[in-house]
Amino acid sequence: MIFSINFLNKAFILFFAGLFCLSGCARINKPVAALILTKNPDAGINTFHIAVLPVQNLSGAAAPVKDIRQSLIDNFKKQGCNIIEEEILERFMARHRVRYTGGIDGVTAQSLKEETMVGAVLITSLELYDDKYPQKISLTSRLVSTGDKPTILWMDSIGIAGDDSPGILGLGLIKDPHALQEKALQLLTRSFTCPPSERHDRIDTRMGKKEFWPKISYLSPVMASGTTYTVTVTPFLNESERKNAGEIMALHFIRALREHENFNVIEPGIVREELLGLRVIMEDGVSLANASLVLGTLNADLVISGRVLDYQDYQGAEGSPKVDFSVVVIERKSQEIIWASKSYNQGDDSVFFFDRGKINTAHTMASKMVRNVVERMSK
Amino acid sequence: MKRRPLTMMRKNILILNKIILPLILLSLTACATSSGTYYHDPNMDFAAVKTVAVMPFNNFSRDTLAADRVRDVFINMLLSTGEIYVLPTGEVTRGVVLMGVTNPATPSAEEIVKLASLIKVDAVITGAVNEYEIIRSGTTSANIISLNLQMIEARTGKVVWTASSTKGGVSALDRLFGGGGKPMNDVTEKAVNDILNKFFK
Repeated sequence: MIFSINFLNKAFILFFAGLFCLSGCARINKPVAALILTKNPDAGINTFHIAVLPVQNLSGAAAPVKDIRQSLIDNFKKQGCNIIEEEILERFMARHRVRYTGGIDGVTAQSLKEETMVGAVLITSLELYDDKYPQKISLTSRLVSTGDKPTILWMDSIGIAGDDSPGILGLGLIKDPHALQEKALQLLTRSFTCPPSERHDRIDTRMGKKEFWPKISYLSPVMASGTTYTVTVTPFLNESERKNAGEIMALHFIRALREHENFNVIEPGIVREELLGLRVIMEDGVSLANASLVLGTLNADLVISGRVLDYQDYQGAEGSPKVDFSVVVIERKSQEIIWASKSYNQGDDSVFFFDRGKINTAHTMASKMVRNVVERMSK
Repeated sequence: MKRRPLTMMRKNILILNKIILPLILLSLTACATSSGTYYHDPNMDFAAVKTVAVMPFNNFSRDTLAADRVRDVFINMLLSTGEIYVLPTGEVTRGVVLMGVTNPATPSAEEIVKLASLIKVDAVITGAVNEYEIIRSGTTSANIISLNLQMIEARTGKVVWTASSTKGGVSALDRLFGGGGKPMNDVTEKAVNDILNKFFK
């Protein structure tokens, strides 16, 4: 009999378990302002007028960036954000000759605030777009306040593949690239109001599995725990075959560092502007002279750099992503390396049987690896 | 006493024992890992070496990135010992550019003395990656690495330590049970660890 006491008990348990999970995202309908203003009280009343910059394509291949941007705008509107009109942004960008959309410098951020009354800018970088089965998409978004000192208010990223959750008889496979894109953008924008720790709808990249710990690491006694550091992340030296892997890895670190209270991360647009202004060329990583110059100008304590040796996503159904990088942290006062580590992993490192635990995108794996680096560094 | 005539079976066993088994054993050791050699200058006070610069390695392998990969692992492993501080690679490159060192992988003694005084290090480490590839033996394949390093004293430009190591290759187990050997990163770590053991001996 279906409606037995046992069945009803199970139904109740499932119902309450579902309610419990949903309550995790209870803040979803709360005004976004509360979240942002608590993080940045100086952001001003116009924080909710957001300018969505054109998507920066770091995938190294053609991708429907306009379509992605439009979906992103629609999703943010659903979350209660006011997005400024396209024409206003276009006029501003043409007037100020803004061509770089991967970050925002102080001068542009100030002009944007004064001329368009925009409180924040949404900067999105597309890391991967593969529309062949199994489709994959990875992107990173961050909200940066305008004004003379742009600060990162929110940042999150996502990397998903169509075969992440195949389910029974492959019913969970996503074969439509547009559907996958929509899913990725929805999950990304949901994190705007619902913190990642309270979400149960995506692969957890915070898991501290031993496989993703740095394989070799060095921590100097100079690094004091409990101290808050202002951090500059420079693009990593890219020695991999993947285009823009250096910038992608820097974004991973910025996102992971932001999650720690010990680190204040400087907006990468400001760092880029300073590096260009100082004509700093990093041939084989950061030299002490360059580190001193950059840290002095930006008034930061730490500079993070490194090199990426592998950042591979695979095409088709068979294969596994591969990520290999090393990171070096130089401190301003001591002019010394205070952290150095080497990490390398493959997507099937956690697989014991039947592809269970396999990671399908380099993005998700790099997120886990970088989080583990930052976790160990902050200890 | 009369000797029993050898049966066919006994003959086969004798051939197996005397000829085939030694051959199998010999072939099993053909690609085995070698621990390499090393040299320590008996007059050098290695405890005085606090800061070193690791120069770019020479690459004699087919993988164009091999030298960078091995150097990366070596720098991190040396730093992680906590005994010696390694100068950031960017700083070493800055010194190389300023000094106009023509071949940073094989600098002359004079160049090393000048470079070391500029970037303020006690010793300079140079090296070469001789092998960094997959080797095949029959149907089995495995990763192999072979490298040698040397430390040059900053004050005199004299070689005070050298060591070499070869790790990986097709082992007896690989031959018997198949498998592609260990991943290249693991093999590299083993080789570097072996070299570091020879340094801290």
